[in-house]
Amino acid sequence: MLKIENLSFKYPGGILALKDINIDFPKAHILAVLGRSGSGKTTLLRCIGRFLKPSKGTVYLREKNIYEIDELEFRRSIGIVFQNLYLFPHLTVLENLMLAPTKVMKKSSEDAKSEAMETLERLGVGELAESYPSQISGGQAQRAAIARALLLKPEYLLLDEPTSALDLDTTNDFADWLVDLKAETTFIVVTHDIPFASRVATSGVLLEDGKINAEGSIEHILKNLTKKND
Amino acid sequence: MRLLYKLLYILVLVSVLFMGFIPGSGFSSEAKETVTVALTGKYPPFSFFSAEGELIGFDVDVSKEIALRLDRELELVTTEWDGILAGLLVGRYDAVIGSMAITPERQKQVDFSRPYYISGAQVFIHREDADKYSSIYDLEGKRMGVVLGETFEHYLRNNHPEIEAVTYKSTFDIFQDMQNRRIDGFLTDRLVGLYQIEMADMPFVARGNLLYEERMGIPVTKDNIELLRLINSALHSMERDGTIEAIYEKWFGEGAQPVSAVIEPSTVARNLLRGFSITLFVAAISIGLGFVLSIPWGVGLNTKIAVLKPVLRFINDFLRSTPLLIQLFFVYFGAPQIGINLTPIQASIFTLTINCSAYMAEVIRSGLMAVSSGQKYAGRALGLSKIQVFRYVIWPQAFRVAIPPLMNSVVALIKDTALIAIIAVGEVIREAQSIISVTYNPMRYYFIAGLLFFAFTFPLMKLSGRLEKKIKERGYANA
Repeated sequence: MLKIENLSFKYPGGILALKDINIDFPKAHILAVLGRSGSGKTTLLRCIGRFLKPSKGTVYLREKNIYEIDELEFRRSIGIVFQNLYLFPHLTVLENLMLAPTKVMKKSSEDAKSEAMETLERLGVGELAESYPSQISGGQAQRAAIARALLLKPEYLLLDEPTSALDLDTTNDFADWLVDLKAETTFIVVTHDIPFASRVATSGVLLEDGKINAEGSIEHILKNLTKKND
Repeated sequence: MRLLYKLLYILVLVSVLFMGFIPGSGFSSEAKETVTVALTGKYPPFSFFSAEGELIGFDVDVSKEIALRLDRELELVTTEWDGILAGLLVGRYDAVIGSMAITPERQKQVDFSRPYYISGAQVFIHREDADKYSSIYDLEGKRMGVVLGETFEHYLRNNHPEIEAVTYKSTFDIFQDMQNRRIDGFLTDRLVGLYQIEMADMPFVARGNLLYEERMGIPVTKDNIELLRLINSALHSMERDGTIEAIYEKWFGEGAQPVSAVIEPSTVARNLLRGFSITLFVAAISIGLGFVLSIPWGVGLNTKIAVLKPVLRFINDFLRSTPLLIQLFFVYFGAPQIGINLTPIQASIFTLTINCSAYMAEVIRSGLMAVSSGQKYAGRALGLSKIQVFRYVIWPQAFRVAIPPLMNSVVALIKDTALIAIIAVGEVIREAQSIISVTYNPMRYYFIAGLLFFAFTFPLMKLSGRLEKKIKERGYANA
């Protein structure tokens, strides 16, 4: 169980990006963090991912402050896929997927390879194994990056603007298999793509100026959003 | 951090000013069994290399005879004329037996033995100009060649400012420009001039009387009084028993046999290739060590560590903004002053390593910068440790980006290795100079030496170009 309590974050310049955030993330769901650009979505994601230390408040994983959890254990519990994906350009897709299992989890390269191939095939991109990141499309890269993160078998996987590089068709495909995967991994999707969020997410929060404006079911948030737009 | 950098800069400037006031510490190596003697090896018939590669000449014979009378093992060192006294002062050798004229200026720095022969300054001109010029006074407004650092240069500048003095590294370079008619005459030692003109079969003739006499002595450092005493008594006995005269006769007398100016092509090839293999040896070791050193250096330049970064930055900038030649002199002549005696090869490798490492560190720094910081986060998000992220994610990308400029550094270093000839490493340029000192054909042998470099560096440059293209195709970060 992932939980955020009284979290605030202030950038060195003095801008208060997050103000007193409280969220519970139940498992086996797809949760959306919605909001306009500049609303604090990515900052929140980085706080959860231990890339930014909160100025105030705490992120708890299994009732423990995430900074008190062993780094490796933490990384294996919470995965993150950045908006720019950051596949490693000098490695093939397969090598990208095998790096963490062999170097971090110390698996044999045969085991790592068969698991990687299995995951790629499940996401429908098995034929890309030997390609380099520069040779594949945005949608394919998206799957490869998610496959890479899934191989660590995280409880939670944070996705930052996963649809920003996808066209409508690929977005719909992506939404379909994300729903298929939610039984084993809880996805926290940071997005401003409302149609996508309403299609995949069960619940979520709406951020505005670093504060939670609405939370609960997606329908509730959408209503709130429409109200505001009126 | 900026402040520290500035402080370092000021420190260097101040120490430069100070060093101007510190008297050079006369350092002399205490040779027990051997006496080490320096000469240029490029001054026929006083010192030069025979077709067989043996160092011979009047000065060589005098050196051998003196060592014999001193009951010491003779070690001959060849070095460039313009650094020969500097080398003596820092104790690289015990004495110079290289036809050095005794002058008050030199006597301020070193002590000379009694003169062992006397010659003088002679004007030489092109045979075709024989009607035009009958003495040095006819050469007003003309250009005359002199070897840099020889007494003739000072004489010409001080006594004939109406003549333009053009300086050269050796008589052979003067001959070349005389033939091209870039200069109208040259001033050199009468004996040497006549001998070399005959050997090279050049259309030059002596003109006018000796401008002045020169008395040649053997300099030692001022604190080496005992050696000076021994040399003087050896010379004295050589004069009395006619040894000096016999040596003189051998090289300049009626029956003097000119040494063959013909070198077998196989000898040329062997000597040049041997020289080039030394060039490559020095270059390869320097590149290897330089590269290893450049990785932590490049990483250091990319850190934000308070003291480390500006210090590394400053050393790097300093090395890249001073001439390699000066660094080489500094190491070779300077190290003995702090008690470290490096052989020419060691000094060369040390200097080239540090120098190329500075350039490579800069390349690696920019290679690391070219890798987006997101790559680091992505690696950390996958659970890789900081070291693993560097090893498997950042470094392979930075290195690929850095390969083409690194290859340029490698090519530049191989070419820069030619400079070490100046501190008497027997690399390809030095071998070429030796051959030229016998054959009097600088164009041909410098050209061959140039071709050797080209044959080696050209494929490297092509390879670098191909790698660059490949890396661009792969689409690395900002490459």
